[in-house]
Amino acid sequence: MSDFIQDLRDLNTLVVHQRDRSGDDLLQQVNRIGCNCENAWPIPVTLQKKFDLVFIDVTDQPVDRIKSFLNSAGGEPPTVIALIGYENPSTLESIFEIGAHAMLTKPVRATGVLGSMLMARRYWAEQLRFRKDLAKMRDRVVNLQKINDAKFILMRHHGIDDQEAYGVIRKQAMSKRTTTLEIAQSIINADGILRNIGNS
Amino acid sequence: MSIQESWKIGVLFSTSGVTSIIEQSQLNGTLLAIDEINAAGGVRGRSIEPISYNPDSVVSCYGEMAERLIVDDKITALFGCYMSSSRKEVLPVVERRNALFFYPTLYEGFEYSPNVIYGGATPNQNSVPLANYLMGAFGKRIFFVGSDYIYPRESNRVMRNVLRQGGGEVIGERYYGFDVDEEGFAEVAREIVEMKPDAIFSTVVGQMCIDFYRAYHAAGGDGRICPIASLTTNEAEIAAIGPEAAVGHITAAPYFRNISSPANRKFLKAYNAKFGSVRDVTSCCEAAYSQMHLFATALEEVGEMDADRLHEALLGATFDAPQGQIKIDPDNNHTYLQSRIARVDEQGEFIIENKLRRAIKPDPYLVYPKIHDWNFRTQKVKQFPV
Repeated sequence: MSDFIQDLRDLNTLVVHQRDRSGDDLLQQVNRIGCNCENAWPIPVTLQKKFDLVFIDVTDQPVDRIKSFLNSAGGEPPTVIALIGYENPSTLESIFEIGAHAMLTKPVRATGVLGSMLMARRYWAEQLRFRKDLAKMRDRVVNLQKINDAKFILMRHHGIDDQEAYGVIRKQAMSKRTTTLEIAQSIINADGILRNIGNS
Repeated sequence: MSIQESWKIGVLFSTSGVTSIIEQSQLNGTLLAIDEINAAGGVRGRSIEPISYNPDSVVSCYGEMAERLIVDDKITALFGCYMSSSRKEVLPVVERRNALFFYPTLYEGFEYSPNVIYGGATPNQNSVPLANYLMGAFGKRIFFVGSDYIYPRESNRVMRNVLRQGGGEVIGERYYGFDVDEEGFAEVAREIVEMKPDAIFSTVVGQMCIDFYRAYHAAGGDGRICPIASLTTNEAEIAAIGPEAAVGHITAAPYFRNISSPANRKFLKAYNAKFGSVRDVTSCCEAAYSQMHLFATALEEVGEMDADRLHEALLGATFDAPQGQIKIDPDNNHTYLQSRIARVDEQGEFIIENKLRRAIKPDPYLVYPKIHDWNFRTQKVKQFPV
């Protein structure tokens, strides 16, 4: 069984919705599901850090205000489920804009709340993972490029081949107890300085 | 009383087809309660009049007949259904037409509708006590056999989880379609006898359940040594299986026929007077009976057949049921129920071995029940010589 279902009851949830029929039905259903649940209305200025999942009524609410609220906790934004009153293109557009992970239509029915919570959590976790992976990949590409540049410098200056150049960098890194990346960076820096001296 | 119009209610239980044994008993429980209510002067001086259809155990018929009851017969309260699939057919109809639907059967949980009053047990009310009991009394190697639909799969998921927490192990898991007969169970029965698990957890329902128990017996399985434990196998099915094949097997349920209480004695006496025997009285029958009484009390208070007002009156309502006191949980429309574990004796009668001290709160959205939860510990029931 997936972690999302297993960890469901540990979620701290916030329902940003008026205490009307839809709001009450939603709060009760989240309670039935067994999550910690609080209510807030109107949209507060800041979001407390403890909330993992936020249901938010986006009907007739300014998108900027919603966005600034959702991003106010600092760090990773929470999982967001939008509640919409009208299923029209402009409302749907605002869901994209605030970066919601799932949505529920009003009037809220008990059926569908659990499913949308799980889908939202999964989508949110996946996004988070993709973002992290992407950042890691980006770093890696930059690093590879640097090591390649350093290798070319060594090859040019010492008339050695690709593998030997890498061997030099690795050996340096090991003896100085640092990373190949740092050695590569020093080689690039040194090369730049030496070249500049030659030019001036 | 005849001058005034009666309160019309809808009843949907199959009296033919695969699940008719159990649904007939639910229908009887419903009708008995109506008789009692009417004999005591009805509700606000008007009698309750059931309009009953037979869906013939055909899933799609339940939805169609629910629609007919609401549209043509103008009822706003509906009693019925055994299998989850039939409940799912009725659910959209009662929600769209805003009728109140009483469902007197245990089921797999993970549902809430403002239009449904759930009278049977959710997995937390029986599975956890049963798992505790099985591992304590028999051992930790359990074999699962089930009918192939949503209830067995979900209740096995819960059971597997509870067992694992207690260090138990599921050594086999099989599901069978509704066309399987005694012959069809022969192979798995042989396999079980060979593997020698400590106990079998069965979610085989209806006619199939009778075939499975018989096949197990035919293969040399003995309930006194390695019992089949179930949440659904009831008195009616045990009677059909016969004492020889049924002895030793275990069922966990809120109600058993031989509970010794004034409320149960009164219930059984009335049932016997109306139907000539108490052979088919089961926990689902008792739940149907209790739900009708809860409804009548709410109707007495409200005085009209408005689904919303009846619903309001039902939340938190209590009833001294044959099983003991029950209460509709205002949080989720399900029912606080008793939990008992009983074993079939040589005569084919259930003997209650363990029970929980008080009614358990229903928790339909419980993903992972905790085996060590103190609330789920059963206590040994002292046996008195009869």
